[in-house]
Amino acid sequence: MTDKKYAVQDFVAVEPSDLLAVVRDLKGEGYRLVQICGTLKENGIEVMYSFDKDHVAKNLKVLLPQEESIESISGEYWPAFVYENEVHDLFGITFKHLALDFGGKFYKVTEPTPWNPKK
Amino acid sequence: MGKRTIIPFGPQHPVLPEPIHLDLVVEDEKVVEAIPSIGFIHRGLEKLVEKKEYTEMVYVIERICGICSFGHGWGACASMEGAMGVEVPERADYLRTIWHELGRIHSHLLWLGLLADGFGFESLFMHCWRVRETILDIFENTTGGRVIFSVCKVGGVRKDIDNKTLREMVKTLRTLEKEIKKLTDVFLDDSSVKSRLCGIGVLSKQDAIDLCAVGPMARASGVAQDMRLNGHGKYLELGFEPIVETAGDCYARSKVRIREVFQSIDLIEKAVDAIPDGDIAVPVKGNVDGEYFIRLEQPRGEAVYYAKGQGTKFLERMRVRTPTNANIPAMVKTLQGCDLADVPMLVLTIDPCISCTER
Amino acid sequence: MAIFKIGKVVLGSLFKKPATLMYPVVPRQWQERTRGHISIVEADCILCGICVKRCPTHAITVDKPGRTWTIERMDCVQCGSCAENCPKKCLTMEQQYSAPNTVKTVDVHHIPAPAAAEKKAAPAAPGSKLECDLETCIYCGICAKNCPSDALFVDRKEKVWKVDHDACTQCGICVEKCPKDSLSFK
Repeated sequence: MTDKKYAVQDFVAVEPSDLLAVVRDLKGEGYRLVQICGTLKENGIEVMYSFDKDHVAKNLKVLLPQEESIESISGEYWPAFVYENEVHDLFGITFKHLALDFGGKFYKVTEPTPWNPKK
Repeated sequence: MGKRTIIPFGPQHPVLPEPIHLDLVVEDEKVVEAIPSIGFIHRGLEKLVEKKEYTEMVYVIERICGICSFGHGWGACASMEGAMGVEVPERADYLRTIWHELGRIHSHLLWLGLLADGFGFESLFMHCWRVRETILDIFENTTGGRVIFSVCKVGGVRKDIDNKTLREMVKTLRTLEKEIKKLTDVFLDDSSVKSRLCGIGVLSKQDAIDLCAVGPMARASGVAQDMRLNGHGKYLELGFEPIVETAGDCYARSKVRIREVFQSIDLIEKAVDAIPDGDIAVPVKGNVDGEYFIRLEQPRGEAVYYAKGQGTKFLERMRVRTPTNANIPAMVKTLQGCDLADVPMLVLTIDPCISCTER
Repeated sequence: MAIFKIGKVVLGSLFKKPATLMYPVVPRQWQERTRGHISIVEADCILCGICVKRCPTHAITVDKPGRTWTIERMDCVQCGSCAENCPKKCLTMEQQYSAPNTVKTVDVHHIPAPAAAEKKAAPAAPGSKLECDLETCIYCGICAKNCPSDALFVDRKEKVWKVDHDACTQCGICVEKCPKDSLSFK
């Protein structure tokens, strides 16, 4: 019988202040960072972090109110700079202590934060 | 300490298939640091979920990239089917696996040609692409298009391949295998090719794990990570093992991709022997409500598809994360300390598909 | 030291015929399933507008009072959704690619008015609604099964017949299929 590991859907909501501690635990257990993405919602921006171990995924969801900043995880996972710069350029979220900060110039968009337009 | 200069590489460069910009900090012919910069081909395709219904979104996601096109179509459909709780019939799953493996063969042949062009071996590049034309003819015969197939839909596939055509396809692939073997022998044995590939851009196993590398980039450094093991498609039923090499240099990555081409031909033959008869699609009604996260193994590595519906015919979010996006940090690391003349090799060795990275 | 490993392949290709095609002098051989462009059989079209709804790029426009079916060739991505969903099967995917051009090609097709004998299957005037004569209706459900927009709901046991007027495209297939002639547009 085949093991349907892809069907495991694991979504956990995390407070912004707890994020770094949870990520450090995952790094210690050997999880690999898969992706970071942002979704625009009415009451803010939901940032989703995905991790993987042995082909099973685990997702953390953090809801950030508008105009707030969050601690970057590039201290633990250096490759996170690619995704965090993308989220910063498209949604306008600031990440504190980013390892490789492009200052909003990673994606070269015409209008700033096109997916989260300022009204 | 020598003098440092900054040399811009790209976005227009003869060796690059797609535009990417690198600022190379060079000290007397050795690259000390590389700073990547992307965004030349950002089309904002994921934002089209606000305007296109979820059935039409499949066509948009398919057109993110021309090389990995079938994988994107399958991933978009699979994430929406998971969110709606739809089970596709067995025959549709087998057909999707067969088309995906054909896509893997054509993508690796394309990459081998580009690699040969990168170190100046143009006749090998032309022969690889001549062999690839047969695969594109198979695609046109079965789906109607050479590059963009439009054959996946939510609930199954749109076109069927009858068993006679499938067996002829396997025969064509077996004849093609002999041609491919002659060309891959050049890659693996020729001394001039080996002098350009061996020992260049070594990525150790610990670095591959720390930098979250995916696909053949990680497998060539000894990390046995292949998303085909997570059970999507029919790979586990067909008996699949990932291909791993340990050297971690450009030669090992070429060897992994070459062995994957032959493994794909074997997988297609096994799938054609095992394919059952039946429906190719189930009717799907209603809207997407819920979220689903699925990962597929594209030719370049692990691709992530996340669909979130809100109960209307428009999705709330469709996220596609492609493998080149994850391999850019690994590429930046291998560029540190290499010769300036090896930079094209190292950029090509991650199999860059920049239009996938920026969507 | 292995050198000139590609020698055999190169020497072989000196004596074989070229792999490239002398296009456009030698015309291209299309495959059976090649998706080239959409063609329409004008006599069968009933101007229902389902192809307009299914087209992902909005390349097709249907003008019911003017009786025209228009397609913008350069917007069409040859996906085939319109041909699959057409209830009268008057659209086909042809093999020839659309010719390249310096201006955006727009093809307008005039749909002839149906003959007087076929008035039963004619599309309704805009604004008219589908109605069922419940005295003659036997709740067989044939109309609901054949509706391409899923606008009809029929329950044989409960004797319920309902139509969703927003989804109805007035294509007239139910009127044609009804065995008791209970359906009409008013």
